[in-house]
Amino acid sequence: MSTKAQRERIELLQGTLDLLILRTLLLGPAHGHAIAKAIEFRSEEVLQVEQGSLYPALHRLIKRRWISVEEGVSENNRRAKFYRLTAAGRRQLAVETGKWDKLAGAIARILRPAERESQS
Amino acid sequence: MKRRRRMLEDLDQDIREHLARETEDNIGRGMGPEEARSMALRKFGNVTRVKEDTREVWAFVWTEQLWQDIVYAFRMLRKSPAFTSVVVLTLALGIGANTAIFSVVQGVLLAPLPYFQSDRLVVLFESNPRFPRVWISYPNFQDWQRSARSFEQMAVFMGWKGFDLTDPGEPEHLDGKEISAGFFTTLGVNLARGREFTAQEDGAAGPPAVIISDRLWRNRFGGSPEAVGKSVTLNGVDYTIVGVAPPDFRLLGDADVYTPLGQGDPMIINHRATHAMWCIARLKPGASILQARAEMSTIQKGLDEQYPDANRDLGTDVTPLKEQIVGEVSGTLLLLLGAVGLVLLIACANVANLLLARSAARSREFAIRSALGANRSRVLRQLLTESVLLALAGGGLGLAVAAWGLNPVLAAVPGAVPRSQEIGLNVPVLLFAFGVAVGVGILFGMAPALKNSRAGLQDALKEGGRTSASGRGRVQSSLVIAQMALTLVLLVGAGLLLRTIRSLGQVDPGFDPRHLITFRVGVSHSLTKTVSGTRVAYQQLIERIRKVPGVQAADFTDVVPLSSDSDIMPFWIGSEKPASLQAAPRLQGLLTGPDYLRTMGIPLLRGRFFTDQDTTHSPCVWVIDSDLARMYFPNSDPLGQTLSVGFASMGPCIIVGVVGHVRHWGLDEPSTYPLGQAYLPIAQDPDQWVQSNYSGFSVMVRTPLEPTAVMPAIKNAVYGAGSDQPVYHLETMQQVVSDSMSSQRLPMVLLGAFAGLALLLASLGIYGVISYSVAQRVREIGIRMVLGAEKRDVFRMVIGQGLRLAVAGLAIGAVGALILTRLLPSFSSLLYGVRANDPLTFVAVSIILTGVAILACYIPARRATRVDPMVPLRCE
Repeated sequence: MSTKAQRERIELLQGTLDLLILRTLLLGPAHGHAIAKAIEFRSEEVLQVEQGSLYPALHRLIKRRWISVEEGVSENNRRAKFYRLTAAGRRQLAVETGKWDKLAGAIARILRPAERESQS
Repeated sequence: MKRRRRMLEDLDQDIREHLARETEDNIGRGMGPEEARSMALRKFGNVTRVKEDTREVWAFVWTEQLWQDIVYAFRMLRKSPAFTSVVVLTLALGIGANTAIFSVVQGVLLAPLPYFQSDRLVVLFESNPRFPRVWISYPNFQDWQRSARSFEQMAVFMGWKGFDLTDPGEPEHLDGKEISAGFFTTLGVNLARGREFTAQEDGAAGPPAVIISDRLWRNRFGGSPEAVGKSVTLNGVDYTIVGVAPPDFRLLGDADVYTPLGQGDPMIINHRATHAMWCIARLKPGASILQARAEMSTIQKGLDEQYPDANRDLGTDVTPLKEQIVGEVSGTLLLLLGAVGLVLLIACANVANLLLARSAARSREFAIRSALGANRSRVLRQLLTESVLLALAGGGLGLAVAAWGLNPVLAAVPGAVPRSQEIGLNVPVLLFAFGVAVGVGILFGMAPALKNSRAGLQDALKEGGRTSASGRGRVQSSLVIAQMALTLVLLVGAGLLLRTIRSLGQVDPGFDPRHLITFRVGVSHSLTKTVSGTRVAYQQLIERIRKVPGVQAADFTDVVPLSSDSDIMPFWIGSEKPASLQAAPRLQGLLTGPDYLRTMGIPLLRGRFFTDQDTTHSPCVWVIDSDLARMYFPNSDPLGQTLSVGFASMGPCIIVGVVGHVRHWGLDEPSTYPLGQAYLPIAQDPDQWVQSNYSGFSVMVRTPLEPTAVMPAIKNAVYGAGSDQPVYHLETMQQVVSDSMSSQRLPMVLLGAFAGLALLLASLGIYGVISYSVAQRVREIGIRMVLGAEKRDVFRMVIGQGLRLAVAGLAIGAVGALILTRLLPSFSSLLYGVRANDPLTFVAVSIILTGVAILACYIPARRATRVDPMVPLRCE
């Protein structure tokens, strides 16, 4: 049973992670480590992303041509790969964001009455 | 693809960079270098898994993993040689048997005939109110050829004409065909050398010309290109070779020489009422067989009106050539393919059970692999790779089994399958074996693989993993029940056919086949130039044979019982010829000598048989069989009445005797139209028929000696009358009787073999599952014994468990067998003297199967009784 539960959580995270990466890159190109830090920082450290899982996600987005990759030099003069949002990625981000809002709203509507019940 | 390589090339570097940055950040937060590094790693997660997952994003990863899987599977299988060899052997037997049968189906049924665009070749028959397909007459063929528009070309031939070759080289008897011009072009076969017969050669006055087989060309002319134009002496006549047939050419039987049919016996060729030839034709492109049938029937209607004497009520039939050649065996072959498929299913069930048991032992391995980052589908793929690899190994060995087993089986039942020369392990057969192996690997690999990859991680990591045992046991039990059911079906099939062969063996063929041999003699053509000379030569020949020591009786016949010889003719009683001969009843005519009855051991029921006094100078006489007497003289005495036969009417002759019926068409006499028999003495054969009839005679000899002991003396006697007289087609009548059962014997032998194999596999299956269950239940058995169970009770419990599976399988199998034997006419039509639901067979095979199941459970049951009650308790 446990593997099944784990797997579902990872899958949920994967989809969400894609969304978070796209949103992060909306602010401008960044390298892998910076993206991880940004997600952690902006979520006020609530989302503890396993940093490694960023890489399959990045490659998946590259494959779908939602982001592109270029060589560059980072703030402390180190060679790094910079990921940049493409036009298609921008459109996808809009779509995904809309979907996410709907999902979050729906879940919230389901959860709220339950909370009230448990309070009474 | 390039993109993929570029992306993956510096993945390692990216990850290193990432970890370095994180480590630096951590140091910035005041950690020591060691701690900073390990924190970075922890935050990053499983590096290998990240790499794997990233690679998987790029599609090509599948093939890479496949290769890894294969290497890993090899290693795993090498580590457990006992398991591997049992599985591979089981599969080799299953796949091998399937491949062998498929190669027969492929060679006989699926492969096109070896002629150009053979699907457009048809056989044209005539039909009459008694028989839907009869051979055709030459004048009718010539009229068809002139008027039919549906065909590109048509040709006729007469098979099985004997030729005695006397020059060049040793005298030898050869089988030949008389063919019309255009025979080879109709088939679309190019001669290896020379040319076909011209229209002039295919006429009565044409020069003797011959086309010879590749075999004869090599044996007699050393394969010399100059053979064309040379001459050979056949039946005392010099023929000029005009062509050589390609190697392996055959059509409805082998032949070494082909002569122009137009030069053949005028008594056959010029008679519209003599139906003696095969007609083959090639449909025009676009012409359908239905159109051809319609056109032929219109043409024939016209001919029937034009020639009412010979043709009234005559119709036509158009049949695809392939159906004509293989139609009879196709049902049996497909039946056998189905049966052997069941064997494969049983083998698969065994392997699946072995894999289930093994996977129980390996569940920890898979749990560890998932813990190390392998996802579910990866583990599934790994398991499937192993099972497909096993199946491929089994398939490879199975090919060897098929190659080794096929020829002895076909040789054991000669003549049971047409086109047997075209059977072999060719490309389609190899593809079939490969496809079956892969399919089977996935099939039996799937169940345990699904089960395993789903197995709980924590459960499996804990010692034992007893939780999933009961579910697995249920799957295993159902597999065993299915095996038992399938085995019962095969056993019933084999049992019914065995009973059929036994009842056929008890059938009285109407003559005594023991101590009876038959052969043919090519009487010297210098002695048979005239009718009277021919009569004398044959008379002298049979007298010489009768004088050979050890020969009790001997005589001629033109129709050997249970062989393919036949001479069917219309007949009528009394003097009034019926208006329509095509609609008249038929009988089977036989020309025999006076000693034939005694030689064959056929009982004389009434009156007398022939004597030496029945000659052309005395009134002509018939002896009829009991069937003819019963059917046409139900209330009167046949003796003294007159009978006439044939289109070129012969008779009326007086019936002087009644003898027993001889089963000519097979011991089970499957003929839809019962044919009575009528014997005419050879001495009264009309002059105009003597030369062609006599050359078709067989000699029957009754002797208590072995054929090998008596034949040299008989041959000497024959050669004494002329050294150029070959003796050929030598057989004992017991052989002839046995060959007549080949259509039942082939499926009996094969079904018997399959059923035996199934029984072996199923008993291994039930043994394996019961042993496994005993091993699983050691603790429970121990507790039972502590609580006072006797060894006897434990023994009974284990046997009972096996018996329950067996009986469940028996019940399902019995119902299945009842339904199948009823649904499959190709099976039930093989049966003779036993009903498809024969209770004796069902009970007998059920007892066998139950006995084998108990035997298979005996060893694990004994093992269970030896369980020491303390050991399993101490384990906890």
